[in-house]
Amino acid sequence: MRGFTIWGVFIGSLMALAFGLEGYAADLFRKLLLTATLCVGFNFLFGIAGQIAFSHIAFYGIGAYGVVILGFQLDFPLPLAILGAVLTCGVIALVVAIPSTRLEGFFLALATLAFAQLFSVVLLQGGEITGGPQGLSGYPTPDLFGIKLEGRAYTVVISIVFLSTLAILLLIDRSWFGRACRAVRDNSATAAAMGVNVFRIKVAAFTLTSTLAGVAGVTYAFVDNYLSPIVFGLEPMFLLLFMIIIGGTGRHVGAIIGAILLFLAPEVLEEWVGRHYLLFFGILVVGTILFQPNGLIGMWETLWKRWNRRAIPR
Amino acid sequence: MTDFLELTVSIGEAGCIYGLVALSYLLVLRPTGIINFASGEWAALGAFVAVTLISQEKLPWIIGLPLAALAVGAVGWMTERLTVRPLVDRGAPVLSPILALLGMLIFYREMYSWMWGVDNLFVPMPFGFGRVEIGPFAGTSQSFFIMAVTVTVFVLTWFFFEKTIWGKAFEAVALNRMAAALMGINLKLVAGLAFAGGAVIAAFAGILQAPITTVHFLMGLPLAIKGFTALVIGGVGRVEGALLGGLTLALAEKLTIRYAPIPSGFALGIPFLLLILFLMIRPGGILRAKGAD
Repeated sequence: MRGFTIWGVFIGSLMALAFGLEGYAADLFRKLLLTATLCVGFNFLFGIAGQIAFSHIAFYGIGAYGVVILGFQLDFPLPLAILGAVLTCGVIALVVAIPSTRLEGFFLALATLAFAQLFSVVLLQGGEITGGPQGLSGYPTPDLFGIKLEGRAYTVVISIVFLSTLAILLLIDRSWFGRACRAVRDNSATAAAMGVNVFRIKVAAFTLTSTLAGVAGVTYAFVDNYLSPIVFGLEPMFLLLFMIIIGGTGRHVGAIIGAILLFLAPEVLEEWVGRHYLLFFGILVVGTILFQPNGLIGMWETLWKRWNRRAIPR
Repeated sequence: MTDFLELTVSIGEAGCIYGLVALSYLLVLRPTGIINFASGEWAALGAFVAVTLISQEKLPWIIGLPLAALAVGAVGWMTERLTVRPLVDRGAPVLSPILALLGMLIFYREMYSWMWGVDNLFVPMPFGFGRVEIGPFAGTSQSFFIMAVTVTVFVLTWFFFEKTIWGKAFEAVALNRMAAALMGINLKLVAGLAFAGGAVIAAFAGILQAPITTVHFLMGLPLAIKGFTALVIGGVGRVEGALLGGLTLALAEKLTIRYAPIPSGFALGIPFLLLILFLMIRPGGILRAKGAD
């Protein structure tokens, strides 16, 4: 019952924000939702499945560029273009995952980093197809059942994408698959001895989360109706990693908190320190790893426990 | 033919820079098992300190170069002390210091842009813009200076590992931490020295490169990626592998830019392709580590 209440309040406030916000705040809210979508996906891959992959943002980009190229350069009907872009993401993710998940620890990070950088090179050198450094723009806003997908209507769509991503990941996390992922993360040899097919679990976790990033990318394509290669570079990937670490690695709520905090922080910090706000992010990440490895959510839980112990004397 | 000989010089120059960064990784990676992505930022710091000492304070290169390298070495030692050692002491998984150093990468970079600004800065060449010809090879004086310094650094490092008791201690820690500690090797001292030494060598790469390219706060990460690629190509086990990897990477890059019939922008992808290929097909690199078969 308590679970239903929390979900009700959560979804209710999302919808209230989606309908209530206007102008710049609404734009910020849309991008925050997409960042949070990426964060929960990446948190599953990095925090729960234990794969540190720097390719998450690249799949976000493949989804975004994919739908625009399929829909407006090859003139597919929109539903087909969306399906095609998501499928492309899934197939590429599978092709990347099969060889690279054999790599252990940080070597996986480097292989996926190389893949992400190759994707950036393709975006920059793609000529008219990807628009080069200028990116793609000037494609029309889509419509669904006669409603133009922009403004409030589109915020609702993004909220639904975010909620479904979260729901899928939560359901999977609670199934045998989530437990297998955690087992592989903690000790792959033990997991294998328990009968978990380590290779398959790794490939499936990578492909699933990367495809979800692709879905978020498809959604992003119509937020600004403008795609720039910078959005899909290495810097946003670092930020995503930092959001997870600061929020609390392996925790869904932590990922959302981290996304909200680091996404909104520049809005406040930029007035004080200009673009040096990244300095604070660096300090915050190093500080989190050193002093609070479970992130903000871990800190909150420690405090909560201490408070409860004091409140109920035995 | 002259075209190719000149290309050889520029391959040597770029390969030496990559090799130095790779060596910086190697020095930290061997005894600690930590892949230090901040080494590119150390190279950038070397270049920035060189701007201050050589361009602004007008110190001669012979004083400025070692001073800048030592300053960066001190920063490397501090980094180990403040961000890596507490994690190792606590027994945190090896990924934790790697991620902490990734955070330090952003921290360093923003510090540079704050302290030195975001404009391109310049360092004068130590021997001017003159063209030098050695036998059939011709290039700028800086190219030959880079190669000479790099070879010296590599010979000294090789000598350190092969001939000194300290080098043996590093190797012992790399092979078996527990046994090394039981033999009376101070693991903390070795880790501190590895970071300081890695920082000094990375600084050399940054300082030497500074007069050819410009000095900019974003210069670190590309160097870090190329240096790491060079390391993977050459093999993570041996000092000479780092240089070999650097030269191989530079060779592949320059030959593609010059001769391959693709737009030169795509040549930017060469290091990444090589990195993926080597990680997949030959993760041990060209040269195998000693004692591994």
